[in-house]
Amino acid sequence: MDPSLLQDFLTESGELIDQLDTDLVRLETADSSEEAQELCNGCFRALHTIKGAASFLGLTAVTTFAHAAEDTLNRLRKGEVDVTEQVMDALLQSADVVKGMIEQLSAGEEAQDGPKDLIDTLHAIAEGEAAAADTPDANTPPPSQDAGKEPDAEDNAKPGVPLNLGPQKLDLLEFMITDLQDAAKHIGEAVDGLCNDATLEESANYLAEVCEEMEKTAEFFELDEMTSLIKVLTSVAGKLHDASHEVIEEIAIRIKAAKTLIDQQAEALNDLRALSWPLDTFCSRLTKLAEDGSIDDQVKGQHNGDVQALLILDGVIEQGQIEIASTATVEDTPEPTVQKAETPKPATTDEPVAAPEEAKDPEEKDKAEKDTAGSRAPAKPVTEQTIRVEVSRLESLLNLVGQLVLNKNRVLALTRNIKDQPIPPEMAEDFSDAAGDLDHLMSELQVSVMRTRMQPLAKLFDRYPRVIRDMARMTDKKINLEIVGKDTEVDKSVLEMLADPLVHILRNSSDHGVEKPEDRTKSGKSEIGTIRLEAEHQGSHVRVAITDDGKGLDREVLGQKAIEKGMTTPEKLEQLSDEDVFGFIFGAGFSTAKQVSDLSGRGVGMDVVRTNINKLNGTINVMSKKGQGTTIEILIPLTVAIMPAMVVGVGDHVYSIPLQSIVEIVRPELDEIKSVSGHPVMKLRDIVLPLVDMRQRLDEPPVDDGSRFAVVVAVGGQRVGLCVDRLVGQQEIVIKPLDDTYMQGGPFSGATIQEDGEVCLILDVIQLIRSNSTTVNSETKAAA
Amino acid sequence: MATETQAPTTEDINSVISQASSDGELLQLVSFEVGDEEYAVPILSVQEINRMMQITRVPQSPEFVEGVINLRGKIIPVIDLRKRFGLVELENSDDVRIIVVEIASRVIGFTVDRVNEVLRINSSIVEPPPAMVCGLDTDYVQGVGKLDDRLLILLNLEKLFTAVEIAEIDKSSQAA
Repeated sequence: MDPSLLQDFLTESGELIDQLDTDLVRLETADSSEEAQELCNGCFRALHTIKGAASFLGLTAVTTFAHAAEDTLNRLRKGEVDVTEQVMDALLQSADVVKGMIEQLSAGEEAQDGPKDLIDTLHAIAEGEAAAADTPDANTPPPSQDAGKEPDAEDNAKPGVPLNLGPQKLDLLEFMITDLQDAAKHIGEAVDGLCNDATLEESANYLAEVCEEMEKTAEFFELDEMTSLIKVLTSVAGKLHDASHEVIEEIAIRIKAAKTLIDQQAEALNDLRALSWPLDTFCSRLTKLAEDGSIDDQVKGQHNGDVQALLILDGVIEQGQIEIASTATVEDTPEPTVQKAETPKPATTDEPVAAPEEAKDPEEKDKAEKDTAGSRAPAKPVTEQTIRVEVSRLESLLNLVGQLVLNKNRVLALTRNIKDQPIPPEMAEDFSDAAGDLDHLMSELQVSVMRTRMQPLAKLFDRYPRVIRDMARMTDKKINLEIVGKDTEVDKSVLEMLADPLVHILRNSSDHGVEKPEDRTKSGKSEIGTIRLEAEHQGSHVRVAITDDGKGLDREVLGQKAIEKGMTTPEKLEQLSDEDVFGFIFGAGFSTAKQVSDLSGRGVGMDVVRTNINKLNGTINVMSKKGQGTTIEILIPLTVAIMPAMVVGVGDHVYSIPLQSIVEIVRPELDEIKSVSGHPVMKLRDIVLPLVDMRQRLDEPPVDDGSRFAVVVAVGGQRVGLCVDRLVGQQEIVIKPLDDTYMQGGPFSGATIQEDGEVCLILDVIQLIRSNSTTVNSETKAAA
Repeated sequence: MATETQAPTTEDINSVISQASSDGELLQLVSFEVGDEEYAVPILSVQEINRMMQITRVPQSPEFVEGVINLRGKIIPVIDLRKRFGLVELENSDDVRIIVVEIASRVIGFTVDRVNEVLRINSSIVEPPPAMVCGLDTDYVQGVGKLDDRLLILLNLEKLFTAVEIAEIDKSSQAA
């Protein structure tokens, strides 16, 4: 198997499955039957596409399983099975199974067969009520969707005959239609070559070849008229070699006309309809032309090279149809795709009933089509608007931009220095102009490249309704998830890093936050809990907030637990603000749940949240009111690769501190620094701020002078002051990984390259804060 | 047989090759000095050799890690082989070079006192490391090449840099 084909399949299927998942959950709560129908069709399409591609690639396990799920979905789509929790459970599980298979395939393994019992369930649902459906109910109006997908404008006026094909042929329908469309396209190309003497012979041969191929396709559809038309074309193509220039032009226009007819037929076939035209005159005139080059005088030259006019002349279509037919031809670029996607494998049972019924009322259908066309088939531009690019290429592009930013910084630094040199002032000015332009362009380039990596949060958010649904089902709660601002875009890496934390927070909110329905009623709240997930841009940051209207956090309980875990002491606890106390929930192993459930309570989740958010240089705030709910607010920079930082000096060396984590910078006098159980602290307004001696942490010899700065950094409510010797200045830095094993252990989150090309390490504020609190803790413990 | 007589040139070449392989393969090495000894590493593992450049110290990294350098935008660690081999530190002379190698997709630089030459030796003149070399754990010594007038210590870079890590981890875990 071609690995790139498989890769395409995996990527596409992965996206489809995500979509399927979302749609299924929405389906369960759909307000109107139209919406449900729409979603149902969407799900069906997604599954069908996966099945089709999988069978093409010979992935039997996927095909078989998708087929079973598809059957069930098909019943649902036709309204023969109700949307119940059991059915949805089965379908959602199926989506998971297919996802699992895709993951197995991505990992280079063979896909395992789907679980037997689930397949059985699916079959049971699909067949359970089959008896009822076996007798097609004529009273049931066909699903509203059908009206939209059925008619093309031209077969409204001239309704085609519904096609009756065996199930095997139905399976192949899509491919055959594509064949037909391709053939029609090839005919068009060949005809263009006919009018040129140089390419005449080649084109004629090509045409004959294509027509012969097409005969088989037409026979497959059991379309007698189409077959005979194509047969005529084949024979005509064979006679073109020695026809005169004039005759060929006449023939060419007729072949074009035939092509139009074939195109229309292909369209109609998408809806399983066969069109028919009075083709006799057309065919006989064409044959005659090819044989002896004679044209009926009354027709000769009358069409002016216009296909539609010709068709009217030959009595194939009537005058009134011109407009409709021509619009159809013009539109045929966007149409086929839409139509094809719309066309699920129709069940033979209701087709014959539905089709004539619709044919009765062309006007209404016309309207229906317009409506659906408006809502579902937005004018699709002919050219592609997006391209798929490997992430690695974007990465390298971003890397290069990073390099450029550093280089720009260097040029700017040189420009500053040049002013002190003995050079003509105009030159210095030119220099600084050029440097200024460079600076400006670089920031634009940087933004543009960043934007190529931006993805909407919807990619994540769309997964969560499922998470909440499952949580609600498992905990017997009623939870409504509101999502706001899912179009907010963030860097791809940010998106990936956010995925897990958000799930953990949502799980926490639904498990610990939202109360059981009975408890909610008791406290005068509505039975259904609400979790609100919102995202918005705030300057160069993205704010994601998760708000629940549950019971809120309890300061007493949290504080007690924190003391138990040795994270704080009773005395300290009193000084802490509410926010600081709530911050304890992010501690590793911290859980107030009395028992560990499948869902949460191990105290790992929130630690993951903090770790990941910290890696993104983000901050978390917890706000909560007892009895009213909790809001967890995450602020993350839009991108992680380039950020502003404060460069500080410790000893002879310089280090960067992400500006994001810096609250303020103070300059304590020597006597302001006190010591609490051997650890330096200072009083900053009304709080006691622990200090970290950076000289000590960074293996520099201690000094006694007091002219030091305390850079106050905060992470998740915890604050410490980092004592440094010098402030060098604020700088835009490009983060480089510092991932070699030799580099691990030090309090660094990465490195950057300075203006002079030297490496500057970035301080990992979180690690500094953590190690500070652990040393404090271990010592307080030892003291106790 | 017939084909061989018809194509004497091919035969010649073949015999040369087979002779070489019977005696051992040809090794292409870069030789350098650290302290009083001469060492060598396979040329294919060497990415580049640089003059001494600005090395940024990384606090709290293993002692033999001199720091990190900016190698055209990539940040790589630099190991001081003198410290690694337990030798006394020297003033950096002009001859000091940083050899950048790639081992198991890791790019690492190490400083040496002087780079000597690129040479080819036959693997038949390489002997396994002596069973006991005083004071040194000889894991990373792949063999000793006996040249006419000198000895060449062939280093196994992979072991040289991973063995250290393991030792370091052991040390730290013992300390904890």
